[in-house]
Amino acid sequence: MLLDGRAVGGRRPAARAAAPEAGPPGAAGGLPDPGRIARRGALKAAVFGLPRLPGQPPAAEAAAAGRVPRAVTGRVLDVSPHVLVIENGEAEERFALTADARAWRGDRTDPATVKPGDHAVVRRHHSGREVADRIWANIGRVTGMITAREGDTLVVDRGGGTDRQILVIACRAAGRIQVRFPRLRPGYLVDIIGVRRDGYLEGLVPATSQPAYRADHVPSPALVSGRVPGSISGAAVWHEPADEPDGLLGICYPAIDPPHTAPPGRAGQRAASGCVSLPYLSAGSRLRVRNDCTGRCLDLPVIGPAPAARLFCDRSVVCGPSPRGRIADLTVAGFVELGGELDEGNFNATIEIEG
Amino acid sequence: MLAAIREVQIPLLAAMLLGACLGKLSHVLRARSVDVALGPTALFPLRLRRPVAMAMCAAEMSLGVALIGTAGTAGKGLPATIVRGATIVLFLTATGALIELRGRRPDVGCGCFGDLSSTPVRLRTIARSALLALAAIGSVAVPPVHLPPPGSALVLRLGLLAAELALIAALSPEIGEALSRLGYSEPCELRVVPVGRTLSALRGSRQWRKHARLVTTDRPVDVWRELCWRYLVYPGRYGGREVEVVFAVYLRPRRPAVRAAVVDAATGDLLPPITGRPSPAAPGQPARPLPPHPVGLWPAIGARTAAGPHPATAAGQARAPSAEDEPQFLPAATAADASAAPSSLYSLLALSSPARRQPDKHQEAHERHIA
Repeated sequence: MLLDGRAVGGRRPAARAAAPEAGPPGAAGGLPDPGRIARRGALKAAVFGLPRLPGQPPAAEAAAAGRVPRAVTGRVLDVSPHVLVIENGEAEERFALTADARAWRGDRTDPATVKPGDHAVVRRHHSGREVADRIWANIGRVTGMITAREGDTLVVDRGGGTDRQILVIACRAAGRIQVRFPRLRPGYLVDIIGVRRDGYLEGLVPATSQPAYRADHVPSPALVSGRVPGSISGAAVWHEPADEPDGLLGICYPAIDPPHTAPPGRAGQRAASGCVSLPYLSAGSRLRVRNDCTGRCLDLPVIGPAPAARLFCDRSVVCGPSPRGRIADLTVAGFVELGGELDEGNFNATIEIEG
Repeated sequence: MLAAIREVQIPLLAAMLLGACLGKLSHVLRARSVDVALGPTALFPLRLRRPVAMAMCAAEMSLGVALIGTAGTAGKGLPATIVRGATIVLFLTATGALIELRGRRPDVGCGCFGDLSSTPVRLRTIARSALLALAAIGSVAVPPVHLPPPGSALVLRLGLLAAELALIAALSPEIGEALSRLGYSEPCELRVVPVGRTLSALRGSRQWRKHARLVTTDRPVDVWRELCWRYLVYPGRYGGREVEVVFAVYLRPRRPAVRAAVVDAATGDLLPPITGRPSPAAPGQPARPLPPHPVGLWPAIGARTAAGPHPATAAGQARAPSAEDEPQFLPAATAADASAAPSSLYSLLALSSPARRQPDKHQEAHERHIA
């Protein structure tokens, strides 16, 4: 059985996720030193003689401006028809549940169906600090290439040396998933949202349509002449957190510079960078991400690579078809903060490199 | 005039059909799989997609050849009528399929010319298909076509053909994609450049020769890239204090622009630039007296921040300090704890703040007086 002894947690190990952007030559291990990464902005400013002010995390900026983060993640302590209590780190947060509040727990449902002990992501209502607008309970997502299948159980490789994920297709959702993902066999891609169980994800909702190509035949990106445009549009998706702290606003970027990867030919030849032409960046770079459907905008740091995102050439159709390709793999808090619906899986987005 | 318009439809339709088939074949051959066929095949069940894609391509090829074969006297009469009737059916079916595709799969391109047709189906794609269906209707019962003698008749037909091709081009999203492929030169932001090449370029630069005496190790302790620049950080010593020498190398094949800065390793403050030739008699010594160590002497970061950036740094000129304006160091915005555990990466990252985008074109670099 695929589940026996091989089940892994849903939280993606960030240390491995960052592995492709290996450390400098001679550095021990493959992971860049976090202190080094944090210094990059200051060193870049120094070498170009640019003024640089002490920064604040986006959440702190929001707090300084009198705003509170919209996304709150934690364990549900209590729920009643009118109040939801969340354990958010050391603190408890109470949210009023209005008639407009909606919840997701495998399906869109009433907030009262959320149970104590559930891991929930709450989006505050824009009108008040302590009013819940949306609640997603135990939501999870598996994105990547199928490496093995046994019955309804799939082993999925998310790329970049991350742990493999176990995905179990729920019987009640098998038909719906089969329509959008007709090739559930090794070598093909899946992207499915579902309920996180102990050691596996119960797949319920297809997050996109399955690409027709195999994971090792990703189409080349459209050619870009002259220079890469300052803003790039496409689809933004979200990923399950690894050891990322709850509430982290960040972005995993599909085109992290591979300094130690030998190019496919002479220098200057195109790399297999997925189906959208994205400029190379590194951990610590900053991007401005805009949700084209809601108009919300955030400046976010790059926290790692998004190896699975570059395999998909799909579009978001949340508010009209976006250009092809995934340009951002957001943290849960970042996705929710930008107005995305976790159960939809994506939104039309535009990124700009800080400038 | 009307007869001339009807005559030019046959070669035009044949060219479109053959071009569409060749475009699809090219895409399939490059991807080594029929499964990549895009467009209306997405409306079919999985098991039917491959045969439908192959049938579409075969129909286009055979109709294109048959249109040419029956255009002259050899195929006049019933064969020509059957071929042109089949062409009408093909384009009317295609128009209907595109309308259906636009409604059910708004994210999918029409796939008419292989991977050139990856833009989602819009009204102009449907209009093009309808226009070709009209052209096919106009070609029915056209008498055998002959090449007109040089003169006004030939010019008229060529003009009509060009005008209709221009109209089809205006309705074709593939044209923009094809033009960009023809004149392609890869931007430096997308170019893969190995670190070894960057290191070689750095070692041959004037900035390296100027700063090499400060550097204490052969290998950089950090390397990263943003857009067209790669940054390399070396540990070093400067006037008895630990420093970091930062190089930015522009990613171009020959004689790349290189910038350098020396930063205090403990405080993150920018130290005065190294000037003059290296003195072999005093290795590791600064070219000019160092300013006092900023720790404990300069205002706190918050105070400096409140006052705004120093005018000198704001102007982007890292110049040697004078007695009046020595505290021109950049603030230690990220006094990062280098011994932090990897799990604290995210909190450390969140402390970094945006910096203005660096010049990423060589011309732009010159405008900013980059050495």
